[in-house]
Amino acid sequence: MNSENKLTIGLPIMHVEAGEKRAFLPKLVGCLEKYGAQVVLENGYGAGMGLSPEAYQQAAPALIYTANDEVFQQDIIFILRCPDEGRIRSMRRGSCLVSMLHYGTRPKRIKLLRSLGLQAISLDSITDDSGRRMIENFNAVAWNGMDAAFKLLQKIYPSPGFFDPTRPPIHITLVGAGTLGAHTVRAAVRYGNLPLQEKLVKAGVPGVIVSAVDYDITNHADIMHDLLGHTDILVDASSRKDTTRPIIANNWLAHLPPYAIVLDLCVDPYQQIGDAFHTKGIEGIPQGNLDQYMFTPDDPAFDQIPAQVPSIERRHTVSCYSWPGIHPPACMQIYGSQLHPIMRTLVSRGGVANINPDGNFFERAISRALLSNFQSSTGEK
Amino acid sequence: MGKRMRIGFPLMREEPGEKRVFLPDFVQKMTDAGFEVFLEEGYGNPLGFYFDDYKNDNPFVHPASREEVFQKEYVLILRSPSKSEYPSLGKNSCLISMLHYPTRPARIKLIKKLGMKTISLDSVVDDFNVRLVENMKAVAWNGLDAAFSQFSKNNPALLKNSGDPWSVLVIGSGVVGKHAVDAASKFGRPQRNASHIEKGGSGVIVRTIGRNITRHPKLIIELLKGTDVLVDATQRHSPSEPIIRNEWLSQLPEQAIIVDLSVDPYSLDTAPPIVKGIEGIPQGNLDKFVFESDDPDWDEMVPPEIPSQNRRMTVSCYSWPGIHPEACMRHYGQQIRRLMRVLCTKNYDTLSPDGLYFERALYRARVDTFLNN
Repeated sequence: MNSENKLTIGLPIMHVEAGEKRAFLPKLVGCLEKYGAQVVLENGYGAGMGLSPEAYQQAAPALIYTANDEVFQQDIIFILRCPDEGRIRSMRRGSCLVSMLHYGTRPKRIKLLRSLGLQAISLDSITDDSGRRMIENFNAVAWNGMDAAFKLLQKIYPSPGFFDPTRPPIHITLVGAGTLGAHTVRAAVRYGNLPLQEKLVKAGVPGVIVSAVDYDITNHADIMHDLLGHTDILVDASSRKDTTRPIIANNWLAHLPPYAIVLDLCVDPYQQIGDAFHTKGIEGIPQGNLDQYMFTPDDPAFDQIPAQVPSIERRHTVSCYSWPGIHPPACMQIYGSQLHPIMRTLVSRGGVANINPDGNFFERAISRALLSNFQSSTGEK
Repeated sequence: MGKRMRIGFPLMREEPGEKRVFLPDFVQKMTDAGFEVFLEEGYGNPLGFYFDDYKNDNPFVHPASREEVFQKEYVLILRSPSKSEYPSLGKNSCLISMLHYPTRPARIKLIKKLGMKTISLDSVVDDFNVRLVENMKAVAWNGLDAAFSQFSKNNPALLKNSGDPWSVLVIGSGVVGKHAVDAASKFGRPQRNASHIEKGGSGVIVRTIGRNITRHPKLIIELLKGTDVLVDATQRHSPSEPIIRNEWLSQLPEQAIIVDLSVDPYSLDTAPPIVKGIEGIPQGNLDKFVFESDDPDWDEMVPPEIPSQNRRMTVSCYSWPGIHPEACMRHYGQQIRRLMRVLCTKNYDTLSPDGLYFERALYRARVDTFLNN
């Protein structure tokens, strides 16, 4: 709390790759102040999206601009992507990090936050009474990813060419039929781009057939090899229980036509956790980000893949750690609207300590995302 | 404390198979929110609940006749009462129900004529136009479960002699289509899927197509040839035209099953007329939703003007979520509860488009809002 007993909320810039331009929009920042918080922005906040200090000051006249280290000293740190370890370590004991923290797949992060005596709200864990995520942009993940894949396919599609009415339908093989997979189906049959869809429909060009398979079918190599042989775009939208094993082994990619594209939507990282090495669902593809998300088979990024991962079979690959970030304003508008009632509740209750797990709809949702309420699969709390 | 807002719960009086009622827990939560509740006599009986289950010593829960229930400030019923009952609603009552404004012009006309206040549950949407009261997931899962239940009668683990995977073709990729892909990939029931995997089954390949394929008959016919389950999950721009012509169904394998999730009716006397997306299949309800290809009811249920000579087993139900009534009402109860908290302090006339999240959503569902837009 500041000297006026107001909850203070710090919004740091996301210091990750250069292509990460996203910042919460002035409207949401203004609401934080309106509901009673003192807002503290890092110098230059929003500049990546072309948003001026005046735009923020107009929305929140009492806001303060300061340096990055000072922003991290506030009661609540509000940032879309999780900051690096050094910045987390600089936070005050008892303060709260509100961010996409992915508790389930980031055990080291949980341990760190707990060891520092920090509270946290993981935005990806805010769910309603029926378990549905309330802060998500799967739609943008699916549409932006499919759009990128089709843009690339247009360039490399063999004769008679992508726009030729006599070409066969485009075959997409989709691994994973959950929430992300469902959005992907919708985006895929529309080429990830409505104007392109309209154009092709008018020209009488055959459309898209999406074949979705759950991960169990991927245990049947012969079926998968046959399917891959007819695939123009292979999409990973899976949500694996065991991320130490790939779904599509690298040598299976040899069955794909040479011009086929691999689209990585679930962007699981290659990482060593304890004794276990965790790998991508499609083995041997590079991990992209907002600076580079398209890779030709001869891209040096393939050589940066950890040595223990087979990557001999290579196809054009499209992968981005933050698919929604490709269109920053649209992305932040969506997140802003979803976060508005959450942040209003958090501020009006005076911070995380006063969130009642049996309170109103939004309090219950926040409560489910608290670090203190997270229990790992091993039962550890 | 001021006078409590009164809410009436009438029974749904459609087919005998319609057993759904709001659950006792939901009714208790209504009184917690500040309502005084009036239940039509016999409320809950179809699901095995009795008045005492609802009353639970709560002084704000009362039995009432249907006529009395219809006089309360709010009347909450999932499916709309018949139009003949609309005049029985109190002058100051607000009917809260699935009213489907955009596709029920005759209903809207009557509501307008009678000057009724209504909130349509299917029109309660958030700032992104996402429905807040819906059960599309149950539509898809119950429909696919019904289809695979038929296959599993003679083949419990769903293992094919050929060793091939099952082939499901989903037409439409909207909200229902998305859930249908998920449901189909797991045989409509997670336990069934687990058992299939355990026994070494080859799983399911779910193919989804949109209108950029459905307008190419040759491609469609080719796809139909290898299809075990054909699913209509479309939302057509022009419901006067079928997507799959009846003659094309001759290409489906004899043992294939058609799943009708869109459940558009045959309505040939409206302008423009409405036909089903898959031509010549019957429309089911909670009393009967499985139709064998030689079912004698087929000719009763499909208008004679509609070609229907090519027949495959069909599962179709006007109210797919109602197949599992208790789960369905638990789901709706959760979604509606938060809306009713708003309606306890605001009423139809004082709802504002600039209010908080749920108030804005309710405002969008008023009949006046619909008519003015």
